[in-house]
Amino acid sequence: MARFKRRPATEGIFEPNMTPLIDVSLVLVVILMVATPLAFQSSILLKSAGAEGRQARSVERSARIDLGVLADGNVRVNRMTVPRAALAATLGPLLQASGARVVVVRCEDGVPHGDFVGVIDEAKTLGAAEIAVVGR
Amino acid sequence: MRPRPQRPDELITRINVTPIIDVALVLVTILLVTAPMLSIADLPVNLPKAHTREAEDERNVSITRASNGDLAVDDHAVSLAGLRAAIRVRLEAPGNDNVLVVVRADASTPYAEVRDLLAAARGAGAKRLAVATRQDTEEHP
Repeated sequence: MARFKRRPATEGIFEPNMTPLIDVSLVLVVILMVATPLAFQSSILLKSAGAEGRQARSVERSARIDLGVLADGNVRVNRMTVPRAALAATLGPLLQASGARVVVVRCEDGVPHGDFVGVIDEAKTLGAAEIAVVGR
Repeated sequence: MRPRPQRPDELITRINVTPIIDVALVLVTILLVTAPMLSIADLPVNLPKAHTREAEDERNVSITRASNGDLAVDDHAVSLAGLRAAIRVRLEAPGNDNVLVVVRADASTPYAEVRDLLAAARGAGAKRLAVATRQDTEEHP
């Protein structure tokens, strides 16, 4: 095997040092790989624990909007039952007219959690300031 | 004081610390980014999609309800009977007085079970509650 030629002391190092570049690239790769799942996870805040039920009811009826998620796929907005697809058209104007923009949500037992979240997400998107979830 | 200019034929005798600093920064970054993930249970959960983005980076106590019914508080598996006590232990830890409690339930979970989880968190003393969602990147129609 040929031995390496000894480099004279006065000769410069002309190869670029790739180590910092590779390190920085690895950092970026790791950040992207690990942060991607977290970036797509979020949450929807519910009104504080003590506000469940009674405190939510203490908000004046005129200032709050009652929203019910029914197991048959419909939703009830202030005692008016509408199809789920018509929620935005029904709830939007009510939220615009409401001062407190508090939405009190009741949900039937058999409704999938995904549908429940879909309804409160739509309420938030339409401008609801607070979502209070009523228990049993 | 100005550094002494180096002659062209002089050997470089200083240690190059750049690679070790780079590697150290990589390790720090990995630890910083993976730390929040280590506190979430590794259970199969298909979170419901939502557009709303709230409390994303906030430290929290998570209650996970997997698609197969398994329960966990942070990264510890618990039974339904021991759920409330497990949450209370987390909330009584120093600095967790007003911590956000996030319920991570599978989208197919019946709401009655999610309500029980919310009630358990409230009963254990949670002051702030949220439901976890998966960020929906699609635009509204």
